[in-house]
Amino acid sequence: MTEWLDDFLLRSVLAGLIMVTIAAPMGCLMVWQRLAFLSDTLGHAAVLGVGIGLMLQMVPIIGVLAVALLIVFSLSRVSNFNSALSETTLAIISHTGLAGGIIVVGLLPSQTVSLESILFGDLLATTATDLLHMLVTTVVLLILLVHHWRAFVALSVSREIAQAEGVEVRKLQFLMYAMIALLVAVMMQVMGVLLIAAMLVIPTTSARLFSRGPEQMVALSALYGLGALAGGMTSSYHFDWQTGPAIVVSASALLLATLALSRILKNQTP
Amino acid sequence: MSDDLLLRARDVSYALGGRQILDRVSFELGPSQITTIIGPNGAGKSTLANIVTGLITNFDGAIERRPGLRIGFLPQKVYVNTLMPLTVERMLRLTRNPDASEIDHALAQTEVGYLKQRQVRSLSEGELKRVLLARTTLGNPDLIVLDEPTSGVDVTGEIRMYELIGELRSQLQCAVLLVSHDLHLVMSQTDQVLCLNQHLCCSGLPESVSQHPEYLALFGQKAADSIAIYTHHHDHEHDVSGEPAGHRHD
Repeated sequence: MTEWLDDFLLRSVLAGLIMVTIAAPMGCLMVWQRLAFLSDTLGHAAVLGVGIGLMLQMVPIIGVLAVALLIVFSLSRVSNFNSALSETTLAIISHTGLAGGIIVVGLLPSQTVSLESILFGDLLATTATDLLHMLVTTVVLLILLVHHWRAFVALSVSREIAQAEGVEVRKLQFLMYAMIALLVAVMMQVMGVLLIAAMLVIPTTSARLFSRGPEQMVALSALYGLGALAGGMTSSYHFDWQTGPAIVVSASALLLATLALSRILKNQTP
Repeated sequence: MSDDLLLRARDVSYALGGRQILDRVSFELGPSQITTIIGPNGAGKSTLANIVTGLITNFDGAIERRPGLRIGFLPQKVYVNTLMPLTVERMLRLTRNPDASEIDHALAQTEVGYLKQRQVRSLSEGELKRVLLARTTLGNPDLIVLDEPTSGVDVTGEIRMYELIGELRSQLQCAVLLVSHDLHLVMSQTDQVLCLNQHLCCSGLPESVSQHPEYLALFGQKAADSIAIYTHHHDHEHDVSGEPAGHRHD
């Protein structure tokens, strides 16, 4: 029934498309709320999750999800959601998670898992099961996003105004953190930690330069994500670059081009 | 709570990090009344505004609100998210669904209709305050809470801002809770003054509060005198010696 999924190239393109779809709205929310660094932190700490998961002979994703949710829960206790998460707190968790993860992974019998695949993933090795995981996660996240979109946007504009006008800020912020944790945990199987973090931030930043409203920024982010995906996979095919890093570099190239264009346009209209 | 009250605070106390910020503060807000909270820096004015609007919930004492009370709120510091593209019009639709004419009307009320399509991040502080004031009037509020609505606004703008607030009150038939340190500018518009310094020093009509010993201790005789002058609306001019020329009191 799923013979058409046998083609590895098709599977990796599908995985890329799914990622771009969910990275656009999630990335915008994270950039608006200055949470860009949180995905990095969760990603690095996820290395620990993978290690623990493998050590206990579970599916790694369970270990990752457990660690990510634990971090999100502790952060919600520490920060009390009263201010943006402090960079210092995130950096400490990030480094500790990564260091702990490297120790745990190092204790595993060799060839169980490579650190490189955790960090950069291997898009071309996407399995049908990976695809299913990604698809289900994306659908769940999209439903939550659509349902709470207005409140998420209000929260991003001003926490004080949102709360005074009946938005349940604490609940919503916790939900948002949990959604980021889920996204990172599931997507890192294929994308790798660094690629996810980059795809949440770089296309979003490009999109911001020419957007007039929040929804427009999400749509443009998806287009920039698609562009990065296409550029990355093409250059990977032609120049034999690693696929994940090639996608990130394409996204950055698009950002540079957009920055240059916006400068030129700005100079023309005084 | 009786029907002719919007809100009643009873013995509201709040401590943060071992420091008492509010100490058993009680007051009532009636419909269409302008109430001004004054007090020195660190008196707990913003904290009290945040408790009234429901931003702070872990306080002691009680806040009773009339069932279904609609509150519009202008926080003291609105951190404008420069990373987010947002037009003024969209900002007015953040949590509600006003139609186009309501938006135009709200912006016209605070004299910023021309900003409708501008990006929020490009506004000056004074423009932003007026847009946010327009926002608070949407959704037909019973009470609007304005926390230092004139911070960052120049003096001329400040006077106009207080006039606008007075006009809004009569047009919307809503109550206003105003946090301010600009005593003399505010007083003439105010029905009730709450003089706060952790505890409620005194409260009542502007004229009586301005003569209260605790008020004088906080702000000095000079401040009280300037209020007396300001609230005494002259319909005549004084000549250089201070003698009224063509005197007529109403």
